[in-house]
Amino acid sequence: MSLFTLNEVKKTFTIGEVKEEILKGVNLSLREGEVTALVGASGSGKSTLLTIAAGLQSASNGQVIFEGNNLSQMEEEGIRKIRANHFGFIFQFAHLVPFLTVEEQLLLMLDVSESKLKKHEQKSEVNRILQVVGMEHRKQAYPSSLSGGEKQRVAIARAIIHKPKVLFADEPTASLDSKRSKDVMALIREITKTLNITTLVVTHDEEMLVFVDHIIKMSDGLIVQHS
Amino acid sequence: MNLAFKEIKRNKVRFLILGSIVFLVSLLTFIISGLANGLSQDNASLIKDLPEGQFYMNDDAEETYTLSRIDSSLQDELLTNYKDATALSIQMGILNNHNGKQQSVVFVASTESKNFKDVKDGEIILDQSMEEKGINVGDTLTNPQFSGEFTVKGFVDQTKFSHAAVAFINIENYKEIYRVNEMQLVFVPKDNSPQEISGLQSFSKHEFLKTIPSFNAEQMTLNMIVWFLVVISGMLFAIFFYMMNVQKIGLFGILKAIGLKTSRLFTIMWTQMIFITITSLALSIAISQGFNLIAPEGMPFSLTIETTMNLSVVFLVIGFIGTTIASLQIKKIEPLQAIQQGEI
Repeated sequence: MSLFTLNEVKKTFTIGEVKEEILKGVNLSLREGEVTALVGASGSGKSTLLTIAAGLQSASNGQVIFEGNNLSQMEEEGIRKIRANHFGFIFQFAHLVPFLTVEEQLLLMLDVSESKLKKHEQKSEVNRILQVVGMEHRKQAYPSSLSGGEKQRVAIARAIIHKPKVLFADEPTASLDSKRSKDVMALIREITKTLNITTLVVTHDEEMLVFVDHIIKMSDGLIVQHS
Repeated sequence: MNLAFKEIKRNKVRFLILGSIVFLVSLLTFIISGLANGLSQDNASLIKDLPEGQFYMNDDAEETYTLSRIDSSLQDELLTNYKDATALSIQMGILNNHNGKQQSVVFVASTESKNFKDVKDGEIILDQSMEEKGINVGDTLTNPQFSGEFTVKGFVDQTKFSHAAVAFINIENYKEIYRVNEMQLVFVPKDNSPQEISGLQSFSKHEFLKTIPSFNAEQMTLNMIVWFLVVISGMLFAIFFYMMNVQKIGLFGILKAIGLKTSRLFTIMWTQMIFITITSLALSIAISQGFNLIAPEGMPFSLTIETTMNLSVVFLVIGFIGTTIASLQIKKIEPLQAIQQGEI
């Protein structure tokens, strides 16, 4: 079932007097429980497409429909609520809050998403998710004492702790070595299937494509191949 | 989750340094302000400690009280018509002790009044600083222009004029020393509306202080020092709080990306600013008030709680402005911009 739809999405940037069209009318549907990968050369528009879909920037034209809501026409506060409650984010870097422990990073996300869970239930949920990502033994650690792979696992845990409907991952393995990259991608796939999440991943690493259900190839601001 | 205090707890050194700067700068301002107020008290506590009211001096005196002579009949009329009115004179002079050692004083003589010491013929009441110079109750003092002797009856706390100790003497003794029959001034307490009296010019307490030679120039200089210090300290606070928050733009951008409300980011910044400022100010208030109690006797230092509180409010407001200016930068930041900046 399609949860997320992009219709004729265009994005134009103006640099000085020059207008550059990064997206030239993209149509895309994402389904629950599936991992979709956006691939393409640098400058093809894949990261721009992901950030527009995630409500992190607006489209110049077109519609971004999530559960019947058109994000393109929503106020900033409405988009923020959708981001907080229904979207999860994994970036190229973990972007963890430096002064919070691993456990607190996850509790903060539950707080941001206005979780209805009681305090002790929140702690149980944090423990459960940390087990899923294999980080329960480091829950009192601060980001400065974690390795790159561990940080990214915590970032994944933070992205899914509030049970989002859509998971956006922008080059989640770019800062990791080959083995850790495969571990992280396998984890994203496993979580997508287990929690029935819709996942959109931007990657330039072809080795990671074995972990996805669909591959969308972009070139020059357009989808050129869908497999 | 209280992010403001979690960050302070995790980055103790950074916040301690910022707090120390606020503490040291505010302490410097309080101490300089105390010294300025102390000098001001040293110059005119005789007048400053009087209740609000009006001073009247002769029109012809051209706002110089030493040149003023109020006609005796007019003085009697004023003392009859205005409740608690007092006629008084203030003149620089000297006193000699039994060893012949000279001390500069300001002789003050007044008609009966609860605002000035009632002194009998041949008696003298001195500012406490004279006791520290070795004069005791019962000592006899002389003046070259006075035929008799003054017997010290007691001392009064911090009563100075033009940086000299005040010596309250009887009116008749004053008239003998200065060979005058008229008094210089009439003071009407609790009278905030100046009366039109023919031949007299009225001054509020504040206006009268300005007529004291050197007081105005000295106060302007001291006030300039204090306010320049307040403005520079305030700007320093504002800049520090601004820098502290602007450095966290990347972090705040990520927090916005995951859905944290901008208002909550503002709350984090304001909470930290208020916590650091209040803690640092409390410490500098305690130390400056402690210094107020133990300041060396000869040092003119006067720092009231009211002055300290007023300065503290100024610092809090300026700190708040600095933080709010940084908040406006945070409000403008796009989450995407923070993500693209790389690792925090």
